[in-house]
Amino acid sequence: MTRLRYLLILIALGVFAILPVFLSGNLLNAIIKMMISALFALAFTLAMGQAGMLSFGHAAYYGLGAFAAVHAMRFVEAGAFSFPTPLIPLAGAAVGFLFGLLFGWFATQRSGVYFSMVTLALAELLYTLAPTWNSLFGGESGISTIRGASWGISFGDDAHVYYLTLFWVTLATWCLWAFTRTPLGRLALALRDNEHRVRFLGFNTHMARTLIFALSCLFTGVAGALLAIATEAANYTAFSSKASADVVLQTFIGGAGTFFGPALGAASMTFFARVTSDLTRSWLLYQGLLFVLVMLFVPDGIGGLIAEHSKKVKKGGYKALVLPYLLCLVTGLLLLAGVVFLVESTHILLSDGYIAKTKSSGGAAVPFSFFGQDFNPRSWVTWSIPIGLLLAGAALMPAAMKVTGRAWLHATQSAPAQGETA
Amino acid sequence: MKSVLKGMAIAGLSTAGLAAMALASAQAEPLKIAMVETLSGGQSSTGKMFLAAVEFALTKVNADKAWPDGVQLLQYDNQGGASEAADKVKAAINDGAHIIIQGASSAIGGQITSDVQKWNQRNPGKEVMYFNIGAEAMEFTGPKCHFYHFRWNGNAEIRLRAMLTAMKNADVLGKRIYIIGQNYSWGHDVQKLANSYAKEFGYEVVGDVIHDVNKIQDFAPYVAKIKEANPDTVITGNWSSDLLLLMKAAGDAGLKVRFGAYWLDQPGNIANAGATALGHYNVSSFYPESNGAASEKFAEEYKTKMGAYPVWVQGHTIHGIWGLGEALKGLSGKAGDKISVKALAFSMEKAKVSTSLGDVSMRADDHQALIPLAVAVVSKDAKFKTDGTDMGFKPLKLISGADAAAPVSPECKMVRPPA
Amino acid sequence: MEYLVVSTLNGVVHGLLLFMVSAGLTLIFGMMGVLNFSHAWFYMLGAYIGFTCTRTIGFWPGIILAPLLVGALGVFVERYMLRRVHKYGHAHELLLTFGLAFIIEEVIKLFYGDFPVSYQMPSYMRFAAFTIFDTNYPFYRLFIGGVAGLIFVGLYLLLTRTRIGIIVRAATFRPTTVEALGHNLPVIFMGVFAAGAALAGLAGAVAGAFFPTSPNMATDFGTLVFVVTVVGGLGSVEGALIASLMIGLFISFSVGLNWALADLFGIVGLGPWAQAFGGILTLKLSTIANSMPFLLMLFILLVRPAGLMGDRQ
Repeated sequence: MTRLRYLLILIALGVFAILPVFLSGNLLNAIIKMMISALFALAFTLAMGQAGMLSFGHAAYYGLGAFAAVHAMRFVEAGAFSFPTPLIPLAGAAVGFLFGLLFGWFATQRSGVYFSMVTLALAELLYTLAPTWNSLFGGESGISTIRGASWGISFGDDAHVYYLTLFWVTLATWCLWAFTRTPLGRLALALRDNEHRVRFLGFNTHMARTLIFALSCLFTGVAGALLAIATEAANYTAFSSKASADVVLQTFIGGAGTFFGPALGAASMTFFARVTSDLTRSWLLYQGLLFVLVMLFVPDGIGGLIAEHSKKVKKGGYKALVLPYLLCLVTGLLLLAGVVFLVESTHILLSDGYIAKTKSSGGAAVPFSFFGQDFNPRSWVTWSIPIGLLLAGAALMPAAMKVTGRAWLHATQSAPAQGETA
Repeated sequence: MKSVLKGMAIAGLSTAGLAAMALASAQAEPLKIAMVETLSGGQSSTGKMFLAAVEFALTKVNADKAWPDGVQLLQYDNQGGASEAADKVKAAINDGAHIIIQGASSAIGGQITSDVQKWNQRNPGKEVMYFNIGAEAMEFTGPKCHFYHFRWNGNAEIRLRAMLTAMKNADVLGKRIYIIGQNYSWGHDVQKLANSYAKEFGYEVVGDVIHDVNKIQDFAPYVAKIKEANPDTVITGNWSSDLLLLMKAAGDAGLKVRFGAYWLDQPGNIANAGATALGHYNVSSFYPESNGAASEKFAEEYKTKMGAYPVWVQGHTIHGIWGLGEALKGLSGKAGDKISVKALAFSMEKAKVSTSLGDVSMRADDHQALIPLAVAVVSKDAKFKTDGTDMGFKPLKLISGADAAAPVSPECKMVRPPA
Repeated sequence: MEYLVVSTLNGVVHGLLLFMVSAGLTLIFGMMGVLNFSHAWFYMLGAYIGFTCTRTIGFWPGIILAPLLVGALGVFVERYMLRRVHKYGHAHELLLTFGLAFIIEEVIKLFYGDFPVSYQMPSYMRFAAFTIFDTNYPFYRLFIGGVAGLIFVGLYLLLTRTRIGIIVRAATFRPTTVEALGHNLPVIFMGVFAAGAALAGLAGAVAGAFFPTSPNMATDFGTLVFVVTVVGGLGSVEGALIASLMIGLFISFSVGLNWALADLFGIVGLGPWAQAFGGILTLKLSTIANSMPFLLMLFILLVRPAGLMGDRQ
């Protein structure tokens, strides 16, 4: 099993290594951003998933890492000292760790929601103060710099940034994974589950929590620094509560209970935002729906779902699942298509441009085009499409759930003990 | 093994690339404009206004055949964040954009202008241009100016001068001025400039205050402070809810002052403020009544196409895109020509377009457009009503681009590439 | 003197507004421990319902309908959504309600547009209640304060003087015991959640007519309402009121004070250095007045973690 896992990881790394050859510049950039947000989510999970510290202000360390990197790059640019570009993330790591220690020392005095509120307050204060401190944060337009050439690499090309990011994300991920195997990493789990008992065992829980939080901030700082290297700038918006919230959301979409889940969640949500934001003006609505649906129906996230399958489904059990899952997919697509049709056509019909068209045509129905088709807004045919889609989806749903439930039982039945022993 | 794979891939890709290039040379190359604007989230309203104006203006540019192979508009949503904007700029360039166009935020503008500068440094011969239609911070035409940035909108300085000139001429400026602004570069620019003009326009600054941006629910304490200073006129660069709340709080407290504002004509403001808005002054790039029949005709033309009169940021945006059209005509390209953004930039330095409010021209020294500015007062006598109310903007004075111009910032060191 | 009186008046009313918006959250978050991030969006929804009613059936029906409709939404959200994820903990509630907030905001933008709508109070309410030092004091500010006061008195009496209140309070401390005594716990929780949501809706309908009703109005309050609840002490209505008033007064007074950290350095003769250093040292108190709630929360959490009036950690 472990051999297989190492092989899989090696293959994945190999694929990542040759990706730039095949991908367009846009996809390459997308993957850089996905890797960075994946690392951010993994670092966040170190505090959240393992030590139970739900931080609402992790963007603070992300932003600080970014600014540290940008300042380091500017010093190099100005010739103040020479520091190889590939090692710039170390600056982010150092600043992230320092501030993690400082802020973490305060925050970890409290636990639960109170801890979350302290982290939120610290990040909010930073967000408010940053744009007023011109020399350090460059006002609201931020600080801009340029990647210097080092080690014979220009770093002007996106592929160079890609490899730099890949290297650091891999290294940091390995460190984070290795951390879970250290005594402190084990202690983190204990702290999450029962802090009192850990204290009675003679550990200084405050110190331990501070240290774990600071380590989480260290890797967050690395992620921030990588972002700064990729965009060659840092801006105070990196501190915003939106950034803090994003990482929480991504982590839970991915599943905070598994190691790689958060990375998956962050990468897929980053990709989702990137693609849908250029397709529709209402993409935040779809994102909101996605959050609600995931929380309601997949509370353990993507990672949890995968873990559940790999743990419980017996050999050859997947065969029984293929058809039910296809049925679920069809149901989901029907519902999605219905919702998208309704939202997008409402969007068009209520826009100024469309209203102007109806006015200039003297109140007559003006067809609106959508997916390359013209629809008449006053015709029942038009509206029967989304309603039909929704009804069909709704009708299929109970059947799909029943069939899937049965298939799941069938696929997992004879392997009940594996989950416990593995 | 890996190198073999890589070699094969490169070989395959280059064949495909060659084929594509062969196809492309036969095909026409439209000029691609990428709008990297905030189109979703809290601040999306402004982005969508810009978008509508650009879409409208481009129909004329394309109808005039300003570029024989047409001008194509691509849209990117920067989600209101600087790093997302950087991402989308890269995406736009990868999609073949020649011009990046943006306006809704100086923070994002700052990111874009430096991204464009860096791209051009690294990719000589494949330059792109930042076409600024709304980022008003002074630094864009000051220390951050560069050859591939063009600002087609006003800025804090020329708009304030226009406002003060018009108000002083009409004798409504008064002697006592209060300045209130938001705590970021735009607010600071306005504050600094309004203080520095005191002597020239013969007023005394009786107080100034800078406050958090769009965080304040209750402006009553600020109004109390303004009242204490007893000013005749309050100059404010506030926009969005900060302006609306300020104005409402002042009206409710019965404060007898005039506001001299920059963003009063943002849709929704007049309707929401109600009668409180009456008698306040605003400086903008366009009001339907500002130049009689000419501007009215243009406003109606816009309305039949887009459903509303051009307001707020839309006037200068349309004029700017027409300026781009003139610059393109200056290239006198033929069908199938390759686009040189460098040549376009040189042509744009000389661009001049006549609009319904007068001439708009680009100043080569700092790439700040000289645009006519209109000052108006909120009144019930206005011919064109706003927001479905009985109020509108009654013109006070129209100031030509040349008159509104402010001197070139000494901090701008424009470096031109060899032609 | 004038400054003192006017600032106090403004601060108290602003504080009462804050209390009105966060009163519902005191029930939802403070008592039930549900991290309902969408609370401020319920408030916005209330304002838009009020606006729609004013356009169609009148201002007062809107004031009544807004809490009812938002309360009904609260019932739906609690019964079919939050109850399912409650067992997974805070983060799931947060994420779910975060999604809800997005949905509410985007749907409102879809139908009402991106710009503020013109939600106006009836013209007979638009007059100056009194004039103090030549400053008109609008009646509607007093109205907002009055509604907030009513909410406070109502909530306080309900929770401390009625049987329902006793059961609700008991249910938040010892849910299993209350259930064993034969009370229907899920219904109690649903009722409390609905009441909290309805209060947000009422606050929206009342305040929206005075402050602009726009798609951004929720974001401004989004985290602030949590600050109020936490500073006041979880589950304490009195605490929330005191915290709101403190924040309101604090902001109101600090607006008039141009203090900066550099002035402190000036006392020990380091003034010029501090001025030259700039940044955080020259920031005036009036400039960052509205970031003060977070500083206050930080201070309270470190000194008195249970909040002003809270009694549990």
